[in-house]
Amino acid sequence: MPEILAAEGLSKHFGGLIAVNKVNLSIKKGEVAGIIGPNGSGKTTFFNLLSGFFPPTEGRMFLFGEEITHMPPYQRVMKGMVRTFQLVSVFNSMSVWENLVLSGIRFKERYTSARKFFFLSTKDDEIQENCLKALRLVGLESHASTLTSELSYGSKRLLEIGIALSLNPKLLLLDEPLSGLSDVEISEVLNLLHRIKSDLTLVIIEHKLSKIVNLVDRLCVMNEGHIICEGNPNHVLCDPSVRECYWGKEEIDQGLLQEKASA
Amino acid sequence: MNEKKTSSLNPPSKEELPSTLTNFQRKEYRKIDFLLIAAGFLLITPILSVHRVTDFMIFCIFAMSFDLLYGYMGRLSFGHMLFLGTGAYSCGLFIKYVSGNPLIAILVGIAVAGLLGILLGLIIVRTTGACFALINLAFNHIGFFLVLSPLREITRGEDGFGVSASKLGFLNFSSRPIMFGSVLLCLLLVFYLLKRLTSSPFGIMIRSIKEDETRVRFLGYNTFLYKWITFVLAGSLAGLAGTLSALNYNYVNPNSMDVHSNVGVVFACLIGGAGNLYGALVGGVVYMVISNFLPIYIHRWEMFLGFSLLIITFRFRKGICGYLLGLWEHGAKKRLIERSAEQGVAKI
Repeated sequence: MPEILAAEGLSKHFGGLIAVNKVNLSIKKGEVAGIIGPNGSGKTTFFNLLSGFFPPTEGRMFLFGEEITHMPPYQRVMKGMVRTFQLVSVFNSMSVWENLVLSGIRFKERYTSARKFFFLSTKDDEIQENCLKALRLVGLESHASTLTSELSYGSKRLLEIGIALSLNPKLLLLDEPLSGLSDVEISEVLNLLHRIKSDLTLVIIEHKLSKIVNLVDRLCVMNEGHIICEGNPNHVLCDPSVRECYWGKEEIDQGLLQEKASA
Repeated sequence: MNEKKTSSLNPPSKEELPSTLTNFQRKEYRKIDFLLIAAGFLLITPILSVHRVTDFMIFCIFAMSFDLLYGYMGRLSFGHMLFLGTGAYSCGLFIKYVSGNPLIAILVGIAVAGLLGILLGLIIVRTTGACFALINLAFNHIGFFLVLSPLREITRGEDGFGVSASKLGFLNFSSRPIMFGSVLLCLLLVFYLLKRLTSSPFGIMIRSIKEDETRVRFLGYNTFLYKWITFVLAGSLAGLAGTLSALNYNYVNPNSMDVHSNVGVVFACLIGGAGNLYGALVGGVVYMVISNFLPIYIHRWEMFLGFSLLIITFRFRKGICGYLLGLWEHGAKKRLIERSAEQGVAKI
């Protein structure tokens, strides 16, 4: 399968701290890759590098075979790489459907022309229809005219994923999509991810290992800025070095048992 | 539990939803807005004077241009007077040295202010928060001292110079009613333009930039471009206000670029309600009334500005318009809840 995203020797230093240390990773078209690792292992920093939040100290990145190392974030989005954030970031002061206007029209050329972009009312039927369609996908259409700050955290998470999806991504980077959610909300988000995974390539950072084991095709484990292990989820979970960094030596057996039980 | 809450707080069923969205559709460009604004200014004319109300309206144009920058895009500038002064000076100088045609002079004023916005915007727009405010302040100071001393030869320094535009048919700007009419027309045009802009995707763009610029960048937009456009637009509209004030007073002096006058426009936006065009209009008029009439009765009238600013920041965060709008929306929501509760009872 063709390679969509490749990182070659990617590093990020913050002063003396090496957050990401010479990471090589390649993501293939259509796969669902999970990145796991303990807190502070550099997962989010790695994502920030991939999405262009800040430039790498060294190393190179390729998207669809094209070098994107120094490309600004908005151009990466235009190439089809979209990300979400660890802390939900939606526009709280606007109503829910207004959140989807900008992303919904980004790839519709007839709306990005200056005249339409500056002077067409957002109450335009087609823009509204677009927003509603995106909301229907994540199951929030009944909240369309609610103020976003009144939504629950889980709904905001769904909205954020909805915004990302309305940009028609080819590659979607999800930064801890399940963090801070209740069990019901987690299953809602997981259902959504299962529904969309056939159409696009997903990279997911997650702490709740058990929840994504069934979702991902490939698991990469990061620790202290390195990828220490990658491959088939079941294989990775049995790897002694992974179990050591994730659960500590003592709890290995218990942890694995729980893992198996919940899976 | 969650579902129950949903049904009581939000438009109830899915089928009703498209209609609730289109209900808002008619709110957009109501002609009555323009009539109300025009009527409002016409009504206060007999109480005050034509010249004064013209001045008020010019200030309102300025306040709206500032509101685009501060209320909508969330960039507080302490140097917006620079653009007003630039507009006033370039209009005045054009009439004095080149031609007396007032319409061309107005266009020149807008163009020069816009050009200045384009150049300065390249630097200023990259910053946010206090830095944005202070860089603007710095440029405003530069402009102020530039007209005061190095360019004294042409700007006549502190004394300023008279501006006498020539007549263009019936368009005689030295006649008060004609001036009043033209300024009112300009105000309505600016209002219409900003109303269109702020209710388009561009409006959502600048409000999004106010809330979280990084997020907008990750939606695939080059935010710098849009901030720049907004800055230039706000600058040109302030320039328009400047040209009009030069024509209204028949006089330009460095006061039109005075750094301290920025307080007025910040105050006007806050008192009326930032991020709301009606707020800018109401705030502009209220501020002008206070600053025109309070000094007659009270010597240290600025002190009252300070007190009222305290009241606004602690009690009425969203200004007069925001507060009234909030009351109205609260009422509407209450009615909606009551109605859906009734319907719920009926269904059960």
